[in-house]
Amino acid sequence: MGPQHPMTHGLWTLKIKVDGETVVDTEPELGYIHRGVEKICESRDFTQITTYCDRLCYASANTWSHAYIYAAEDLLGVEVPERAEYIRLIAVELQRLASHLMWLGAYGPDIGNLSAMVWCLREREMMMDLLQELGGSRMHYNFPRIGGVKRDLPTGFALRARHKVKLFLNRMQEYEALFDESTIFLIRSQGVGYTKAAEMVNAGVSGPNIRAAGVNYDIRSAHPYSVYSEFDWEPAVERSSIKGADCYDRYRIRMEEMRNSANLVLQALDKIPGGAETYHEPGDPKILAKSPSRAPEGTSGSHHFEDSRGESMFYIAGGGDGRGKKPYRVSIRSPMFITIPYAAKTMIGYKVADIPAIMGSFDPCIGETDR
Amino acid sequence: MASTDWLDINSWVTSLAGFSMDTVHDLLPFYQSEFASVQPMLETLISTSIMCTVIFGLMMNTLLALTWIERKFIGRLMDRFGATTSLRSLWVGESGVTAGDWWNQLPLGIGAPIGWLNGILNSIAGNDHKLETISRVNNRGYHGIWFLLPGLFQNVADFVKFVSKEHIVPEKADKFVFEIAPVIILATTIMVFAFIPFGPHIWAANPELSLLFMMAIFGIAPLGVFFAGWSSNNKYTLIGGMRSAAQLTAYEIPLLITVLGVAVLSGSFNIIEIVDFQIQQSDTWNIFLLPLGGALFLITMIAEVERIPFDMPEAEAELVEGWWTEYGGMRWGLMFAAEYMRSYAACLLFALFFLGGWQFPFEDTLASLPTIGGAIATILSLVPGVVWLIAKAYILFAGFVWVRASLHRVRTDQILEFGWRYLLPLSIVNLGVAIYLRLEVWTGESWPIWTAPALSLIALALFIIYAIDEDKDALAYSRRPYNIQASDKAYPGRHKE
Repeated sequence: MGPQHPMTHGLWTLKIKVDGETVVDTEPELGYIHRGVEKICESRDFTQITTYCDRLCYASANTWSHAYIYAAEDLLGVEVPERAEYIRLIAVELQRLASHLMWLGAYGPDIGNLSAMVWCLREREMMMDLLQELGGSRMHYNFPRIGGVKRDLPTGFALRARHKVKLFLNRMQEYEALFDESTIFLIRSQGVGYTKAAEMVNAGVSGPNIRAAGVNYDIRSAHPYSVYSEFDWEPAVERSSIKGADCYDRYRIRMEEMRNSANLVLQALDKIPGGAETYHEPGDPKILAKSPSRAPEGTSGSHHFEDSRGESMFYIAGGGDGRGKKPYRVSIRSPMFITIPYAAKTMIGYKVADIPAIMGSFDPCIGETDR
Repeated sequence: MASTDWLDINSWVTSLAGFSMDTVHDLLPFYQSEFASVQPMLETLISTSIMCTVIFGLMMNTLLALTWIERKFIGRLMDRFGATTSLRSLWVGESGVTAGDWWNQLPLGIGAPIGWLNGILNSIAGNDHKLETISRVNNRGYHGIWFLLPGLFQNVADFVKFVSKEHIVPEKADKFVFEIAPVIILATTIMVFAFIPFGPHIWAANPELSLLFMMAIFGIAPLGVFFAGWSSNNKYTLIGGMRSAAQLTAYEIPLLITVLGVAVLSGSFNIIEIVDFQIQQSDTWNIFLLPLGGALFLITMIAEVERIPFDMPEAEAELVEGWWTEYGGMRWGLMFAAEYMRSYAACLLFALFFLGGWQFPFEDTLASLPTIGGAIATILSLVPGVVWLIAKAYILFAGFVWVRASLHRVRTDQILEFGWRYLLPLSIVNLGVAIYLRLEVWTGESWPIWTAPALSLIALALFIIYAIDEDKDALAYSRRPYNIQASDKAYPGRHKE
């Protein structure tokens, strides 16, 4: 199946050996859209790299640029103003909502329901509108800056964000009516695509996929990096059965994460220092700290970040060989690059019809996988 | 004895054929006696041909509304604007704001009349400001008064697209079978309509055993599907064709047994007599006597026409387009048309078998009302029965669309398990009920007064019990009702560890 096949959600090939309708063996082939982002980054300065990181994943641009920004700040030793951290958190959590909605919207047609897709994209549109107010563009926002953010919250943003997020929380019930109360969805997703927690930890899978199997590892709470520790929240962890997490667990965990993200956005809008309605001009020290543009030779910075799909990580080695403002090496850890080979193996023994249901439940994104 | 209305197309056509043949007979200068011996055959031939044309035209014209219903209704269900309505925003715009006021960019002010026209259109058919705000908030589109009509022309656009596309046959396909498969599917589907009466006097053929004939022809199409899947020489079409063959065979049997129940209850294998039985003898529709049969017929028919949730043979997520994959252009268009024709036939048959065919609901009760009864009876007698039949079919099809918008797709093994393990025994139970009713309860002229209310109430009670029986706490306590059925992998010993 692939590279152009409705199941793939991107550009990759899944070679499948079948016996009748039963899958006997699978082999994923990746690399169709390898763009060499890591190599390109070596010839750009630290600010320019942000736009490339936006383009790592088309469904979740903000989380990737933020992951890079935290690593760059670690490298350059920048102290970020607290208000900027709150704005970043709002942007990232809205992006997580949009990404999970995109996933749910793609998962509906995977098992044959088109209304789910249309509904989810409808709600995603609200999140995109909010992110557009922040970053200025629809998909690749280029929002964070080293030392802060590009712009403050626009006037009236808090009002609109609260309204839309609350509307979204109400509409979550519609989704649960469409999915959880549908017997056909339950027989399609339950008991299908079991993944064991220990196997997944050994394989390096992270994010919602292991939390679905009961592993309480969310970097936002396990190693709090931004201002996550100041909020009243707990990461969503699914109690899965003894056989491991099935597709239904992975569906539930993302629904719970969407609730969490929505609540985090609401809390952040309440708690933001200086109030959500005050507006600072771009470049104001309250939202953007001064940062050096050159990294000393021999220094390195890294940061791991809870992406929408798992643990993303940036490692940046700065300076060296008189490279000036450019990094010596940028290395990216993509969660889906590790998850997809594991996910391909979990579908062995199930039916051909289960392949989209299983593969879709892992939320593959090929942009970041091939980077 | 048979039910009747004034739209007696059959006798009009027969008398027309008879009159013209009589005229020919009188005008013939010689061979008059020889002509008289073949005249009845000629009359039958001519009138049957005309009736076939009438039925085909009626079917094709009313079929177009089906795609329109599907498009509009599913657009409503999914909160979707649709292409034509979106295009309209270029012209009328939303709340007076048109995309760019493009006519002002034209040189020398020649676009000004377009602007004036747009202003007038906006005031007549544009979106109201208040309603526009409400619809923004609720994300429900308000499209002025013209929102219903435009979708009809999409059919024409689709047709032009299908016809103008290149006809591609895969290099390694079995060319003869590949070409003949759509013909088999479409021809048998159209033939089904020959036996479907659109009204008491609008039918192309009415043999004594029309029900059997029709079901037999309805069952040929899976063969064409299998041909198409096999001859395309493609892995997706092959799997799709196999699944289709398995599914259609599995659902054909409960379907036939359910229909047999209807035939037993009505005491006839003739569709028109089945409808007449409901209208005149039993004074109630079959759905009130055999509610289980109605449900079974709907489920098996949705499976037979391969719509969601039973559209496994063309599951686009894993099989691209199933057995249709290699077809393009008008061949694909023909199969698409055949699918809608089958859906339409299913709706019409349900209306004929269970909903009293061309009878208006509660016609007799309304006509016997004290003061307005006479007026209602007059109005009802003026409207031909074909209108009610097609209206019932449309409403049923809207139900099909509703099902499609709210349900997911069932897996192949689950479809087959459902068919063999639940529908087959239930259809036999239904047949038993029908036999009991016919032999023990039917007095020969009417049902005892308790029959229809009691059976309907029992069915309603069972439905409610099953509907509220779902495990409300399953979500809260992480209980999984369904992971026992497929907990083990299908081939435990065979996958690599």
